[in-house]
Amino acid sequence: MAMSALERPDMALLVRQRLTENAGDLDALFALAAIQARSGRLSEGLTILDHVLRLDPRYPGAWRFKATLHRMNGQTDAERSARERAEDAEP
Amino acid sequence: MSTPAPILRMKICMAGEASVGKTSLIRRYVLDEYDDRYVATLGTKVTKKILSVPDPKGSGPLAVSVILWDIMGTSTLRELLKEAYYHGAEGIFAVADHTRKDTLAALDAWSRSIRSVAGDIPTFGLVNKHDLPADPTFADAEVDAFFDKRGWLWSYTSAKTGDGVEDSFRRLVEQVLAGRRAP
Repeated sequence: MAMSALERPDMALLVRQRLTENAGDLDALFALAAIQARSGRLSEGLTILDHVLRLDPRYPGAWRFKATLHRMNGQTDAERSARERAEDAEP
Repeated sequence: MSTPAPILRMKICMAGEASVGKTSLIRRYVLDEYDDRYVATLGTKVTKKILSVPDPKGSGPLAVSVILWDIMGTSTLRELLKEAYYHGAEGIFAVADHTRKDTLAALDAWSRSIRSVAGDIPTFGLVNKHDLPADPTFADAEVDAFFDKRGWLWSYTSAKTGDGVEDSFRRLVEQVLAGRRAP
């Protein structure tokens, strides 16, 4: 996929650096889940996102992002469940 | 004994390209601090600030807990993350960089993405880094025309000096409140 002229080009590198410094960096893990999903690796993205939610079940936006990925994966029950969790978890 | 008035909650989202100063604007507004080092935002950052604003109905001040969502300014992830970020948002700060004209035109795509999730919510344009020399092709009249055409309030800001920041946040909160209470 072509990169936008305005996109930060080093995002993947930045994520890798942050995770090297701290493998439990939730912000970097959330970004990594998004990068994986955008590259078509939905299952990998979901696995990382589940890890984020185990570490912090109230991470902002994570349940709704999980619902989006389940929808893209055609998993409607899981999508609904994630959406319900989002209602309780959001700040 | 009278019951204290409830604190109203309001979700406001930052939008705009990478390194326009979204995080710095929040830092200036909430902490009145500025740091020259650029640290790219990853993931989601949520910051709360309680402020007192006039009740649009005129019955005294209202306490509002503003929940500011700061996001990754990565346009290629925008569609993927739009529901995660923008669900329930009541207002948008659309941030451009006074030194990069292309960041202004990019606000349309951010606005479309947000509105596809949150509906037609108030948008306030911030042209940040006004303390720096402007992009020479970036005329004041053009900025004004851009926001006027879209019906968005806007302001120049500088997260570095604080100019325009407090006032802009307050104006968007008041605009959202006014819309909430419309019949």
